[in-house]
Amino acid sequence: MTRRRTKRRVTNAAVLAVGVAALWWVVQAMDARLVCAPYWTGYALLAVLVVLAVYNARKKFASLPLGSGAAWLQLHLYLGAGSAVLLLVHTGGRWPNGWLEGFLAAVYWLTFVSGVVGLYLTRAIPRQLARTSEEFVYERIPRLRREVLAKSRSVVLQAAGDAGATTLADFYTSRIDPYLAESRGGVYTMRPSSSMRRALMRELADLKRFLDQAELVASEKLFALVRKKDDLDFHESRQSLLKRWLFVHITLTCLVLVASVAHGLLALSMRGGPG
Amino acid sequence: MTAITRPTRWSEPFGEGMAADVAARLLAVEPFRSMDPAAFPPKLPLRDLLAGDTRIVKYQPGDVILLEGDYGNSAFLLLHGTARAALERLEGVSESAKPSLVSKIVRSVAQSLAFHRVPEVRRPAQIHPGAGGPLAARGERDTTRLFLQDVPGVLDASQTAVLRAGEVFGEVAALSRTPGVATIFAETEVVALEIRWQGLRDLMRYAPAFSEHIHRLYRENSLAAHLRETPLLSGLSEQELTEVAAATRFQTHGNFDWHAELPGSSGDVADGDETLFERIAREPVVAEEGQPPPGLLLVRSGFARVSRRRGDGHQTTAYLGKGQAFGAAELAATLLEGQPAPLTHSLRAVGYVDLLRIPTEVALELILPKLGPESLLELASDTDAALPARTLDYLVDRRLNNGTQAMVIDLDRCTRCDDCVRACAQTHDGNPRFVRQGPTHDHLQFANACLQCVDPVCMIGCPTGAIHRDGETGVVRINEPTCVGCSTCANSCPYQNIRMVDVREPGGAIVVDESSGLPIIKATKCDLCADQLGGPACQRACPHDALVRIDVAEITPLAEWMETGPADAAVDDPATEPGAAHE
Repeated sequence: MTRRRTKRRVTNAAVLAVGVAALWWVVQAMDARLVCAPYWTGYALLAVLVVLAVYNARKKFASLPLGSGAAWLQLHLYLGAGSAVLLLVHTGGRWPNGWLEGFLAAVYWLTFVSGVVGLYLTRAIPRQLARTSEEFVYERIPRLRREVLAKSRSVVLQAAGDAGATTLADFYTSRIDPYLAESRGGVYTMRPSSSMRRALMRELADLKRFLDQAELVASEKLFALVRKKDDLDFHESRQSLLKRWLFVHITLTCLVLVASVAHGLLALSMRGGPG
Repeated sequence: MTAITRPTRWSEPFGEGMAADVAARLLAVEPFRSMDPAAFPPKLPLRDLLAGDTRIVKYQPGDVILLEGDYGNSAFLLLHGTARAALERLEGVSESAKPSLVSKIVRSVAQSLAFHRVPEVRRPAQIHPGAGGPLAARGERDTTRLFLQDVPGVLDASQTAVLRAGEVFGEVAALSRTPGVATIFAETEVVALEIRWQGLRDLMRYAPAFSEHIHRLYRENSLAAHLRETPLLSGLSEQELTEVAAATRFQTHGNFDWHAELPGSSGDVADGDETLFERIAREPVVAEEGQPPPGLLLVRSGFARVSRRRGDGHQTTAYLGKGQAFGAAELAATLLEGQPAPLTHSLRAVGYVDLLRIPTEVALELILPKLGPESLLELASDTDAALPARTLDYLVDRRLNNGTQAMVIDLDRCTRCDDCVRACAQTHDGNPRFVRQGPTHDHLQFANACLQCVDPVCMIGCPTGAIHRDGETGVVRINEPTCVGCSTCANSCPYQNIRMVDVREPGGAIVVDESSGLPIIKATKCDLCADQLGGPACQRACPHDALVRIDVAEITPLAEWMETGPADAAVDDPATEPGAAHE
């Protein structure tokens, strides 16, 4: 598959390069014949944007044989890269001076950048998620977190009853329960860290020498539960980042499409010359 | 403390109304009359075996006794009346016709355009047995019985063979865990003795004449076909194949109830403190490393583990399934070197394994010389499987090697976007037929989707044969009109890959049984999108090449995918160090 993917990458890049070269040649030929190239590159750009947007719409027709999702993603990636070149040719490499055109260029480049960021995230995050102790389905994470909390409380209560001591329970109440009960903030979502888990585990390990046998058994269970909570948080933050990214990317795409159509209509209505 | 009597094999006899006097009367009927009761062990007397493992079943004219494609669980001895075996596929009875291109297009478009406000919507014709077909049903849930509505019409339109009192049928399907090849129905009122496979196996073990009779039937009906399909024997003429078939011996090792021993099932033996070495050592040895090969062993059904001694333990080097051979490498070496070559590996039954043993001299005289020098050298080179031993152990211990279409997800590439789940739901009445969860090994997840098993134990006990293996496509499917919602298949599936659902009418209300008022329940499972265009929607939907439907019963496809796919992800992807941010 390595060779297959490398071959696919080379082939797609070659096709893209040929397409860009052809585009340059066509624009040069148009200029030589005094044809107004920006209209034609505009049509082409709009068509490319529609095809790029159709990638998501294709998912709604999963039962139809419209090609594999992987093939569509490849098309989306390379056509997306090509669209940037097409836009540069269309604008002549200048930033537009009209407010609608400026807005359109801004949302286009934001969409493009979000696409590049998404490509990175979709390649980097899966491998991070795969290194956790378990796999978690995103929608089930809140319920699993509640289960971890309930189980930890029950373990500590049981240990307090069996040991007749509250050393572990006191530590649990002040340090572990808040950690298990609270969800992480926005900073954690953007850049998750296991420092909190490590600190708690270190403190719990330090506490061991003061614990009764029953509490020791319970503390081992707490280690596992703290670890699981951390993994749940990590999965939630990474998976939600991917979902949020997709939402942003699709929203920007819609804006680009709407602004492109408005720009096109405006350009055609202002078109001078014969006819 | 509550003390109870430990349940024994016949605490729950197969036939509830099987009185001792009926069992006694059966002893006067052939083939039991010819059996020697003294040959049966004291713990397993013939009379008790008949009382516990058989039952008398009465059929009305037209009742279906065995459905083509139905997974055999019992053999039948006809005691009274006449039955008919259809010699050709009965139109509309077995759902094994390959869906046409037009019907696939219609189905695909319909599913695409359907707006699933509620899942699992069915029209009455989709879930009602006998709606327009030749079959109808009577009875409820697991006592449901299918019958042909127009027996004379079927007899006129189809070629059938007559079965009379004293004849045994269904034995090959029951013993080899294969789908029945013909539909058998009662022509007159029929009284039959149904012998479940546990009893059938014991009868064969302790009554040599009966065993010989069953094996003769198998030899006459199925052995030649099995041998013909074996690649090693492909160069043999019909005459040579007949000679090989005549010399072939049958062997059975292990426990037929392997699914009760699967980790996570109620009869779990793999949990606890038992190590892998202990588990392997506990598996019945078929052939021992260092010993001369017992012949060429062909797996007829079940699974076997190939292992090699490593220190004090055994390392799994491969696993074998139906149609695969053991001992060929050593026999090839014997032929090439001119002196006996001992086995380089051991063979053990995993669960159970039925083997065909072709004696060494027959293999050396008839089979191996046909292969040619190059093939012989290749065979004798005896390379180990391309999968690491720990992966082989993982697959065998969880019986994932049962799967011919396992859903394997590379977690290093999967973005958890659930496009696969949505695609499945869109193609299956708004409800996905799998859960994106399941056992994980390294970065591979074996998702809870039907594996399309080599040995589909879910089909055991289905009272109507609704769950069947499609004769054309090989896909294990559920025929909704005849599914009575008894959950037998869902409870039997050792991988928990079958789910029971409430079906709804187009308005969204749950469809209920008109007599009891209880919801109509149907079994659902992955059907590999067999009646739609383009193959499994889950695999097609994955934008990252992370999900694959793959044959794990063979080692090579998974080895190739594992060797190339994950390595590619590691080399090509602009990923950070795994878990760097997390740790």
